[in-house]
Amino acid sequence: MDALEAAAAVVWPARFAAAVPYLMLAPAVLLVGLLVIGLAYIGDTSLRTLDTSTFLLSDDYTLANYRRALSESLFRTVAARSLQASLIVTAVTLLLAFPYAYLMVRTPSAALRKLLLIALFLPFFIGQVVRAYGWLIILGNQGMVNDALSLVGVAPLRLLYNYPSVLFGLIQYMLPFAVLMLAPALTAIPEELEAAAHSLGANWLRAFWHVVLPLARPGLVGAGLVVLTLTLTDFAMPAILGGGSQDFIANAIYDQFFRTSDQGLGATLALLLVAAGSLLVGLVLYLFGAGTLAMGRRR
Amino acid sequence: MERMKPAFRQPQAAEDRQAAVSVRGVSMVYDGVHAVRDASFDLAQGKFLTILGPSGSGKTTLLRLIAGFLEPTSGEIFINGRAVSAVPPHRRSIGMVFQKLALFPHMTAAQNVAFPLKMRRRDARTIPERVERYLELVRLGGLGGRRVHELSGGQQQRVAIARALVFEPDLLLLDEPLAALDRKLREEMQLEFRRIQRQLGVTTINVTHDQREALVVSDEVIVMEAGMIEQNASPLDTYRAPATSFVANFLGVTNRLSGVVTSLDGDRIGLLAGDHLMVGAAAGPGGSLQIGARASAAIRAEQIRISPDLFALSGLETVLSGTVSDVIFEGDRVVYEILTVLPETGPLRVFDHDVGSRRQYRAGDAVHLGWNARDLFVYKADPEPAATKPDRGD
Ligand SMILES: Nc1ncnc2c1ncn2[C@@H]1O[C@H](COP(=O)(O)OP(=O)(O)OP(=O)(O)O)[C@@H](O)[C@H]1O
Ligand SMILES: [Mg+2]
Repeated sequence: MDALEAAAAVVWPARFAAAVPYLMLAPAVLLVGLLVIGLAYIGDTSLRTLDTSTFLLSDDYTLANYRRALSESLFRTVAARSLQASLIVTAVTLLLAFPYAYLMVRTPSAALRKLLLIALFLPFFIGQVVRAYGWLIILGNQGMVNDALSLVGVAPLRLLYNYPSVLFGLIQYMLPFAVLMLAPALTAIPEELEAAAHSLGANWLRAFWHVVLPLARPGLVGAGLVVLTLTLTDFAMPAILGGGSQDFIANAIYDQFFRTSDQGLGATLALLLVAAGSLLVGLVLYLFGAGTLAMGRRR
Repeated sequence: MERMKPAFRQPQAAEDRQAAVSVRGVSMVYDGVHAVRDASFDLAQGKFLTILGPSGSGKTTLLRLIAGFLEPTSGEIFINGRAVSAVPPHRRSIGMVFQKLALFPHMTAAQNVAFPLKMRRRDARTIPERVERYLELVRLGGLGGRRVHELSGGQQQRVAIARALVFEPDLLLLDEPLAALDRKLREEMQLEFRRIQRQLGVTTINVTHDQREALVVSDEVIVMEAGMIEQNASPLDTYRAPATSFVANFLGVTNRLSGVVTSLDGDRIGLLAGDHLMVGAAAGPGGSLQIGARASAAIRAEQIRISPDLFALSGLETVLSGTVSDVIFEGDRVVYEILTVLPETGPLRVFDHDVGSRRQYRAGDAVHLGWNARDLFVYKADPEPAATKPDRGD
């Protein structure tokens, strides 16, 4: 053993030990570094306009893309739609995920807990795109829902290619993420605290409001942030369930890069999306405190 | 084995009125596990009861039944004469201090103490004054603004007590809240509990597996084992007159002997252990011993006299000889382990009584042991040798 340690000391002297934590950070730093380079490149592209005759980007810098992105009503509609969707989806998802997670964590029945967990993970194995197609099959004009409705004599309903169907798809997609982020936060709340609240005179609702909810805040903020950013930047659901009529920002960016080939405008939209997302995350953290993400020293 | 039968099973109005808590024939079965079996007891207003028992004996279960977190499988619990099985915990007016305290970490000490008042919709203007008064009662005046994690373990205990008492509950329940503390702090808090309980006169049920705590703080002690109440008596009687061999072995440092009953003369029992004929006192339910039947006996370490000289033990009804096998110095006392010829018995543990003599025995010394007949408790033999080792408190 001593010989092994001696050999280790030669290869890796003790004074290097202090460097170990930083060394472990290296891959992350590298990754973020690459991202920053990419971002700088996109920033550069966003300042050049597309020459529609040559399909080349201009050599000189201009803010024309930003002016277009911020003034054209199409982009404003798309941005407002994505933003609104992300807020609605976050609120509804948290509302649905919380009782699910709570039940999963607190149920005394092991069988029910397993069932809830399996029901949660199953959709994970089915990617977002496949799931969206699944909804096409279910909700389409000749889909299962309309088939069933026709049996009772209801004329086919247009269930797809509208805003609610996109929201619906997104909520269904986000639910497992939210539950998975909430469950550990709820597990961390000792059941005894709720019993204590009851014995101190709180009925179920007030114990929930005054004890469970405040203590679940880190989980709620974390889950909320994940759902918020994932929705804001989502591509597949609006593309498939919206059928082109319900584009989000990511769809608009895709169009610029791969349809009109206006990389300048695409880069601009991408940067604006990053800015909007960062602003939103910053706002949430400001309102609810970074400490809620378990970053503060809390017990 | 004969268990203590509850004195009465039927609720009687007169007794209900005076008993703060009345537990009647309560059983609790978790799927398959019989955690509490047919428990019955009454506790008078203002008394301090301690439920003592080894781990898994059903203490917490009994307490949670009284608090209303569990519903008994059978039986009924009365609080101030009222059957409470249909009353949810938040309507029971019971203050509870949990094993892990269960303070709300997102609140300050004062907010924790104010919580039950807020939940009971007391007049908001009177709350701060009342909270301060109770914080002072537990000697935490001025620390109300601290977050829970900014308080020491002992201070957190006090917050939990203040929170459980501030709304003047009918009943205070303590589920081993001191178990996590170090010995010195624990002993300090035991006396603190006693002081506060006397000052407020609140009926209290305390759960512990620390026998010292049970003896120090209580008016009454219930000893539980495997879900059954073995004895319900004053601390003094619990120690001096243990009703079952389990109680005898659970409290104090007790030596367990076994033998065959040779004579029955009122309370005096003749017992043949190996070749030794000794005399003991019948304990527990009378009439259960029969000549020729196996019996188990218990003798406390402090009741055994030890001497190198046989004549010094004259007058004691049982005398036998042995060899010192181990000497354990515990500071305030010396414990000797003595090997004897008694069958089915390990070394006898004996305290050095005669501290004045300054005599020290060493391993290998030949000694004589003796005790009085009244100190040897004789019980009907246990169905099987006890699996539970006596818990010596710490
Ligand atoms: N929720 C439960 N489900 C099933 N069995 C349980 C449950 N809670 C307790 N038990 C069982 O009931 C018995 C009594 O448990 P209880 O918690 O009342 O013991 P205790 O005397 O408080 O022990 P300790 O001193 O270790 O706290 C034990 O055998 C335990 O395993
Ligand atoms: Mg317990």
